[in-house]
Amino acid sequence: MCKVQAMKVLVNDREVHLAPGMTVRHALIGAGILGDVETGKKVFDEWGNETGLDGALSENARIYVREERSP
Amino acid sequence: MKRTKTSTLFLLTCFIIFLFAACLAPAGAASLRILHVNDFHGFAESHKLLGSDNLRGGVAYLASLTETLRKERPSLLISAGDMIQGNTWANLFEGKSVIEVMNAMRFDAMVVGNHEFDFGKAVLTERIREADFPILGANVTGLDTLKPYIVKEVDGIRVGIIGVVTEETPTATHPRNVEGLTFMPVAATVERCIAELKGRADIIVVLSHLGYNADMALASAVKGIDVIVGGHSHTKAVKHITVGNTVIVQAWEHGLVLGVLDLTVESGRVIAAEGRLAEVVPAKMRKDEKVAAIVEKWAVKVNESMGMVVAEAKVDLDGENVRLRETNLGNFIADILMKESGADAAIINGGGLRTSIKKGPVTVGSVYSVLPFNNYIVGIRLTGRQIRDALEYGLSGVELKEGRFPQVAGLTVTYSPERQAGKRVGTIHIAGEPIDPSRRYIVATVDFLAAGGDGYQVFREAIRQSPDFEILGGTIKSGNIVYNDAGRWVRDAVVSEMARLKKLAPAVEGRINVQGTGDEGARK
Repeated sequence: MCKVQAMKVLVNDREVHLAPGMTVRHALIGAGILGDVETGKKVFDEWGNETGLDGALSENARIYVREERSP
Repeated sequence: MKRTKTSTLFLLTCFIIFLFAACLAPAGAASLRILHVNDFHGFAESHKLLGSDNLRGGVAYLASLTETLRKERPSLLISAGDMIQGNTWANLFEGKSVIEVMNAMRFDAMVVGNHEFDFGKAVLTERIREADFPILGANVTGLDTLKPYIVKEVDGIRVGIIGVVTEETPTATHPRNVEGLTFMPVAATVERCIAELKGRADIIVVLSHLGYNADMALASAVKGIDVIVGGHSHTKAVKHITVGNTVIVQAWEHGLVLGVLDLTVESGRVIAAEGRLAEVVPAKMRKDEKVAAIVEKWAVKVNESMGMVVAEAKVDLDGENVRLRETNLGNFIADILMKESGADAAIINGGGLRTSIKKGPVTVGSVYSVLPFNNYIVGIRLTGRQIRDALEYGLSGVELKEGRFPQVAGLTVTYSPERQAGKRVGTIHIAGEPIDPSRRYIVATVDFLAAGGDGYQVFREAIRQSPDFEILGGTIKSGNIVYNDAGRWVRDAVVSEMARLKKLAPAVEGRINVQGTGDEGARK
């Protein structure tokens, strides 16, 4: 038997709760900022890697939506 | 004197070359290049990214890049899963088109991702048989065609490749797709496989569909993994990282980049690693003509499929007024969500329906135009009170034709648009009975609303309040989420139902009634 919980993630440090299988896209919908990505901002994980909107999330994952910084 | 000087210079040059060569390739060392992709999701054709006008990706360009890099040193080409589902180019053929491309590119191995199960076990078994390369899944029991690991010898290096997929796979696909399968704990599985590979492999590569954070945890928990090639989180890891002695890489998504990991291996140890991502930019590259021909062949079939007639509409299907009132098309689609999920009722956002379908032949393409978004069905337990809140919210923006206007199934509601937003809803009936505020009902919706899209807080709150989900035999046994089929788009469910019915004549039935017009409560 596998036991999983509704997932808590942090989007720009704001808590969002997701059902199992939900992705970065759903987290941004929950945080009300999906539109930011549609106008050019990007999503980064807590390690600074860009992530795709369909990327899987894990409990307590932190993602950030911001402009891409120059290298 | 001059001759002595020349000899000295020659010897010095040889010594420097020797030192340089020694630094580059230690005695007994061998080099291995791992080329990797993940989360391709059937994105075979080049496409524009959000916020950009430039074309990116395209598997014919990816294939050409792969061949170029392959020629430079001994290589493996591997995939970390989620290849066959996601884009129409793949979905319409249940991933067959993707396997044909992967065969042409001469993949060495792939691990199943959670989305590989979305078309069911029989289809996955067929795809595995079609593949010229092994498909791995060490922690999946119940599907014998999956191999736990393989050993590939490349330029004298025996590479043990172990494949593992997320244990949460059953929570994100239809239960029937994983019936009879068990997803075992990953760390224990990898430890067992490493023990079995002892003496048979010089280095261990874990091909993981777990996600970047889980890969780091696995590297910390299990000794003996040299490399983790990951997927699932769609992480654009521009350089490799090292956790303990384990190198971790991941190559974003949709074939937009090719992961390149160069390893130097000596005496069964990785002594140097250099990981990078090579971008797939059509404007700067040539395409592989053989792969391009395969992509085109299936693209033609996509176009043919879009023109295929699935049913005949006996009436116009109204997608124009879905933000303003109940429509027959809204009813038809909401009914399908309720039926598919076995829910008591369904609530969807009118804004998710983008156009109408004229009376006459209905093509697959016309359904895709009505439902262009990659939404899937979610069934959530809500109390009667929460259903009322959802309907209040949905009806609060009718005067502005907001997309949140509800299209419903399984319930009737009366409301007064003249009243203050939040106080508009009058009576609600479910299955002909007045709604019980404290009773819990199963309500079908789309994932967009379940996540809080269009401002629907009720569904999101129900998820937040949900207790643990227990997955037993592939079925969700508790929690507020009772149905969650992330691998099947609503539009595909609609096409299937239309094809089954053949003749379509949905009607406006008085599910959403304006108080004061004489039709409230007309149908219970």
